[in-house]
Amino acid sequence: MSTCTPPVTNATPSDRARLSQLAVADGLMALLRDTTTESRPDEQLEALTLAVAADLPVLLWGEPGIGKTAAITQLAESLDLPLTTVIASVHEPSDFSGLPIVGDDPAANGVPMAPPDWAVRLVRAGRGLLFLDELSTAPPAVQAALLRLVLERRIGALQLPPGVRIVAAANPRSSAADGWELSPPLANRFVHLQWHHDHEVVVRGLGGTWPRATLPQLDPGRLSEAVDFARRAVCGLLAARPKLVHQLPSSETRRGGPWPSPRSWDMTLCLIAFATAAGSSRDVLSLLVRGAVGDGPGLELLASLDRMDLPDPEELLADPAGAVLPERGDLRQAVLDGVVAAVRNRPDRSRWDAAWALLVRALETGAPDLVVVPATTLASLRQENWDVPASIERLAGVVSMSRRADQAAARAAVATKARR
Amino acid sequence: MTPGATGALDLDKLFAARLHAARARPYLATALFALHTVESRRVPTMAVDRYWRCYVSPAFVARTSEEELAGVWVHEVSHLLRDHHGRSDRVARERGLTGPGERLRMNIAADCEINDDAFGDGLVRPEGAVRPGTLGLSEGRLMEDYLRQFRLGPYTEGLAWLDCGSGADGLEREWDLGPDGAYGLSAQERDAVRFRVAQGITGRPGHTPEGWQRWAEEAFHPPQPWRELLGAAVRSAASGAGAGEDYTYGRPSRRSAGMPGVVLPSLRRKPPRVSVVIDTSGSVSDAELGSALLEVAAISRAVGGRRDLVSVLPCDASARVVHPLCRAEGIPLVGGGGTDLRTGFAKALRTQPRPDVIVVLTDGQTPWPSSQPACRTVVGLFPRRDAGDGGWDEDDPDYVPDSPPAWARVVDIG
Repeated sequence: MSTCTPPVTNATPSDRARLSQLAVADGLMALLRDTTTESRPDEQLEALTLAVAADLPVLLWGEPGIGKTAAITQLAESLDLPLTTVIASVHEPSDFSGLPIVGDDPAANGVPMAPPDWAVRLVRAGRGLLFLDELSTAPPAVQAALLRLVLERRIGALQLPPGVRIVAAANPRSSAADGWELSPPLANRFVHLQWHHDHEVVVRGLGGTWPRATLPQLDPGRLSEAVDFARRAVCGLLAARPKLVHQLPSSETRRGGPWPSPRSWDMTLCLIAFATAAGSSRDVLSLLVRGAVGDGPGLELLASLDRMDLPDPEELLADPAGAVLPERGDLRQAVLDGVVAAVRNRPDRSRWDAAWALLVRALETGAPDLVVVPATTLASLRQENWDVPASIERLAGVVSMSRRADQAAARAAVATKARR
Repeated sequence: MTPGATGALDLDKLFAARLHAARARPYLATALFALHTVESRRVPTMAVDRYWRCYVSPAFVARTSEEELAGVWVHEVSHLLRDHHGRSDRVARERGLTGPGERLRMNIAADCEINDDAFGDGLVRPEGAVRPGTLGLSEGRLMEDYLRQFRLGPYTEGLAWLDCGSGADGLEREWDLGPDGAYGLSAQERDAVRFRVAQGITGRPGHTPEGWQRWAEEAFHPPQPWRELLGAAVRSAASGAGAGEDYTYGRPSRRSAGMPGVVLPSLRRKPPRVSVVIDTSGSVSDAELGSALLEVAAISRAVGGRRDLVSVLPCDASARVVHPLCRAEGIPLVGGGGTDLRTGFAKALRTQPRPDVIVVLTDGQTPWPSSQPACRTVVGLFPRRDAGDGGWDEDDPDYVPDSPPAWARVVDIG
């Protein structure tokens, strides 16, 4: 606004007064901009940082004005990457696929496709954060051109160097009044993160203190373990559920969002490895996994991760005295069911006895109603020549509890019938 | 477990009740077992917090029978599965509801949502459980609907003691252990439990009440407003390659000035032609049709269409005259017999110039064209009210109409 300021020497007094007013305004603005950051546990920021560290394209979904751009600016700052912002919706497809430039002899030399200036600067810097804003309001032809940029990292004839990370932002359909939805191929190339504003963060930020994104510390000692874990998790699930490998979004509600395909499973594997090596919480992993393959497959993967965490039935049977059972009731019952199933698969006197010992242990350390079903099933596995172990007497309470529930059920049946 | 010092909590009774509840409602067993019990003398009966802890009053357990306790278990876990605390917080924000009185109303509304189909079939309704009927309301609604329909007053006076905890209405209680207390479930663990219960229900439908099936379908995919979905579908159909926007050499590109000798095409918008085929058979109400038609017109305007490029074609067993939309107010939506949309498709495709998009508004009681028409198709499907009765056709009770074909994008309206 002050580009045409006249030289001060021949300024009139009123000019000088206006100038000093502007100087005061500058001072006020400088004060307003003077904010600090604090380190604050922030799951969505941690997920974003991890995905960027893993060099996967991230797409932030969120209502306009809730700080997506601010978060990305902060991320670039804390990762020490120069930020390049491109508003996708105001560009033409040729801005991403290259502009034809005519040389001396097009017939002999061909017509090269020249990249736009921001891409040249980005490549020259060798590293940076490329931020594609307003992705969902870009027309389909521009989205098609962006496919190549996001997947192959090419703009015209230019190849983006590995040091460049890609982040995009989009407004959800409900708030983008004249927006297009993302085409399924483009949606499949991103890790989708839902961006919510945290009331507390906003209030503290407006008070002058914004949260600071910290690069998750990857533990060099855990790298191979992390890769092994990630491979076991993804392959274990997909081996058991082949249907989950590829599911194009069929219902209208899921269009434009994440969906499972071999590509997004590969991204998931990568994300699990990064989250494991960084020691991130399951909540962060949940955001990432569901953002890569969608809610349904993502939750199934997380559920199978929970099962992977459960103690192995064979190990428990080998050492029932030293067994540590999970505290949470539903997980504990899953473990006990697993133990009984293991005995059923390979029935053997000593394994049967060990299972009883485990049930007694479960009874002593937790809620007794969890033990009823496994105990009933285990009892039914008895073979003729097996004696009832002495420890079974300690399960007498379970039998009476089961009977008590039966009686309650009988009374309830009478009562509900009478009421009808 | 937190054992009590004196007048201890009768854990055996409490867990026998839980066992009975899990047997009566096997699909809720995972959720019931995931609850962590905490003995508390400050709760009036039983209450839950949003971290899946269940606070239990020893005195309440002592005076209540096992079968009623089982009902309370199921009731409390339903609050958590149905995310009543999260929904209460959202409603409170959206409608600006503040204060404990409003939270009590949320608790009552949430109880109404649960209690209308939670009991019976082997489970006794606990004494004093609120049902929609208690407040003179109809059954089968969601908490948000009930919340609009009653105020605190003489009807609800007897319910002031009612307290299902912060898990039911989102308001922190003084007995809550909070996010840092022991044995709370993290957000991801809560989602995992809810997901496993939902999966168990959708895995074997038929054994569960309709309310729970609806919950399971929508637990992780809340339905979106049909206007947005229809809008997105029409928009992407009208603006996809070949329709709406394309390259043309009829006019030079704005970049041509800088590149002498090269002819560049420019991106031109060609306003899409949208043909709306309306099912006028007796089963679709005028109000539904009217709102859907207005919606389509607004959307096609937003993608650059002009009113004269949107045409409307009423159709029942035979297609009628094609009307341009500028006369939409006066289009006679006559009909009322059976439907055969195939004639509507044929008629729409015969009009000159050909439409880029066909939008069909129907209740789906129709045969569909056997092959894909030469333009994009969006189907707005009105819900069929008597779908549950199985009475599709009085003459042929086994007749079930085909579902819309895979090449059409289908949006459920209603």
